[in-house]
Amino acid sequence: MAPIIELRNVTKYFGSGRDQVTAVDAISLDIEAGEIVCLVGESGCGKSTTGRMVVGLLPPSEGQILYQGQDISAMERADYQDYRRAVQIIHQDPYASLNPTQTVRQMITAPLLRHQTQRGGPTANGSGRRGKRRDAERRAAELLEIVDLTPVADFLDKYPHQLSGGQRQRVSVARALTVEPKFIVADEAVSMVDVSIRVSLLNMLYRLKDEFDVTFLFITHDLALAKYFAWEGRITVMYLGRIVEEGPTPRLITDSRHPYTQALLGAVPEADPELARKKVHVELRSAEIPSLLNLPAGCTFHPRCPYFVPGQCDARVPALESIADGGTVACPVRKAESIQLV
Amino acid sequence: MSQTSDLSWHQSTEENGSQPPLSLQNVHVSYRTRAGSVQAVRGVTLDLLAGESLALIGESGSGKTTLGLGIVRLLVDTAEVSPGQIIYRRDGRELDVLSLAEGPLREFRWRDCAMVFQSALNAFNPVLKVWDQVWDTAKAHNWNNRSEVRERFLDLLRFVQLDPDRVIDAYAHELSGGMRQRTLLAISLLLDPQILILDEPTTALDILTQRTIIDLLRRLKEDLHFTMLFISHDLAIAAELADRVATMYAGQVVELGPVSEIFYRPRHPYSLGLIRAVPTVTGGFEELSSIPGSPPDLINLPSGCKFHPRCPFASERCSREEPGLERVGDNHFAACWHTDAVQEDIERNGLRGRRAA
Ligand SMILES: Nc1ncnc2c1ncn2[C@@H]1O[C@H](COP(=O)(O)OP(=O)(O)OP(=O)(O)O)[C@@H](O)[C@H]1O
Ligand SMILES: Nc1ncnc2c1ncn2[C@@H]1O[C@H](COP(=O)(O)OP(=O)(O)O)[C@@H](O)[C@H]1O
Ligand code: SF4
Ligand code: SF4
Ligand SMILES: [Mg+2]
Ligand SMILES: [Mg+2]
Repeated sequence: MAPIIELRNVTKYFGSGRDQVTAVDAISLDIEAGEIVCLVGESGCGKSTTGRMVVGLLPPSEGQILYQGQDISAMERADYQDYRRAVQIIHQDPYASLNPTQTVRQMITAPLLRHQTQRGGPTANGSGRRGKRRDAERRAAELLEIVDLTPVADFLDKYPHQLSGGQRQRVSVARALTVEPKFIVADEAVSMVDVSIRVSLLNMLYRLKDEFDVTFLFITHDLALAKYFAWEGRITVMYLGRIVEEGPTPRLITDSRHPYTQALLGAVPEADPELARKKVHVELRSAEIPSLLNLPAGCTFHPRCPYFVPGQCDARVPALESIADGGTVACPVRKAESIQLV
Repeated sequence: MSQTSDLSWHQSTEENGSQPPLSLQNVHVSYRTRAGSVQAVRGVTLDLLAGESLALIGESGSGKTTLGLGIVRLLVDTAEVSPGQIIYRRDGRELDVLSLAEGPLREFRWRDCAMVFQSALNAFNPVLKVWDQVWDTAKAHNWNNRSEVRERFLDLLRFVQLDPDRVIDAYAHELSGGMRQRTLLAISLLLDPQILILDEPTTALDILTQRTIIDLLRRLKEDLHFTMLFISHDLAIAAELADRVATMYAGQVVELGPVSEIFYRPRHPYSLGLIRAVPTVTGGFEELSSIPGSPPDLINLPSGCKFHPRCPFASERCSREEPGLERVGDNHFAACWHTDAVQEDIERNGLRGRRAA
């Protein structure tokens, strides 16, 4: 079967002329149904832009995005509508994405009613408007239960400002679920909520994978969260618009090969004093992240990379090459070299 | 990159036998709002010891920033600090911070106790170049020797590993987040304060930038023995930089102890809950668990122990009586009726979830 989502050489430019930047540069990625794929990297490396292209909010400048094997830019109208419904996004800031003048009930039932109308046909409670409304109310209660907003009655009539950050994010998830998505892009979905409740949000999302067969593209700058959420999946590391390394999470976390991935993993502060003391930090040649307006030639990491080979690294853009331990690495110099971080 | 300079002019406080430079005694802070009085800090008693770095951790709204702003008297007008006492000591002098008049207060803020704020951008004057802002600050403190100030500031910029030529004539918005944070740190060190308060020094910075800031702060701590108070919701900052940790919940310090005690032998259910909720990146998979419920309403606080509605160890007593900080080990204090149950839980289930091989 075709992957549920496939990116083929997808590029996104912003701006034009001298101000043009390549936010995403010819990336390819296959995501199979049921998988969890994490996209990690520092701010501005193109994670959100990629996520927005996957859900159809932004057209790629070059390349194709396929949903279940079909190029989304060449779809029939009905297929395109199916795709837009099946592929949903959850944003970082639930405050910005929820309508402040609507109650939770309104926010959840409105898309349910629209969805029913689109699908047509009689409902369990008869085909009248009242029946439809009752169905929508029942389903809304179920959805709130699924996202752990219980007792449901306490939440139905609340406005966004009456909810905590974590609760608002649960409402966004419940709203995304109204259209029975098959694929969810979670863009920094838990970054703004407190550490004490992050885990329960992540566990709730994880349950959706098992109970509703939702496939995830989980976008985060936090490698520890990526490790936790995608331990059975894959991590893809981006740097300045390109994928530099990709692989099954356990391999990527314990035996990364790209010097940028190693630098990131070494740099992450650890919530464990002994680990923090023991961990090796990769010394970079420069602390400055290059501007997208003026990208270094060849491997864009070369001005910072401690393993830089003049004449090679700055001459050619390294291709992603498969490695025996799983995944791909865009560094011909170091792809076979493991380093020990603790 | 420029070479690190040693800040030979820095006067580190003598550590042995000296009195704590800062003592908070039963400090309360409340905000007046239309909905009622927000009790953001409720009875914090804490000594900041000479040369130590103390981390104040806790989730959003627990009162960390309020406490920090209270110490340097930069709270908004709707905030009231009462009751409570803040005592500052230097070279045998003792100041009652809460009763300082405007002039001495300004001196205190720069020369004695400097604070680096949560949002680095707001701390800059947007229409001034970095040097002009530094020069203004120096003049305001009657330091009028321009070349001396400039020398000192160049030293500091090199210390925070910035290229002085790139920074000194720049506007704040022209600097990246990491450069801004480092510049701010350099400015805060201008008058060689005895104490540095850092509110979320790395939050919102990228990982590699975070690392450079953490390494820099570690040099302040290890090489220069600055007395520092770190404020962060991020446990990792405490693990990386603190000698002692204070966990705050609902405006109170609920646990206080050496960093290894708090991280490996926590005795308060809230500290334990935080530790079990945070993943590490190095090593195999670990199970995590979150703390149920959400932070309390600071206008209508729960009865008894403020953590009881969320606490897995709560008993009937907890909803009636509020525990105070009690000694539970060497320099280790916790405010909880059931610290023994916490200890047993860790012995039975391990501190964190089991790591897969
Ligand atoms: N100006 C203000 N007016 C009213 N309430 C305020 C004001 N500033 C802060 N508060 C309230 O005081 C409490 C403590 O806030 P504070 O900013 O000290 O928390 P914090 O621990 O620093 O949180 P964070 O981790 O989000 O920075 C919160 O309930 C907050 O909403
Ligand atoms: N709508 C836009 N117009 C212009 N530039 C944009 C736009 N969206 C993103 N960018 C730029 O594209 C780059 C990648 O951004 P983004 O995908 O948001 O990164 P990330 O999510 O990894 O932080 C950044 O340089 C950003 O400023
Ligand atoms: S290709 Fe060269 S510069 Fe790029 S990561 Fe590999 S060694 Fe470093
Ligand atoms: S006093 Fe009771 S409710 Fe409070 S932390 Fe201890 S066990 Fe939990
Ligand atoms: Mg983003
Ligand atoms: Mg704060």
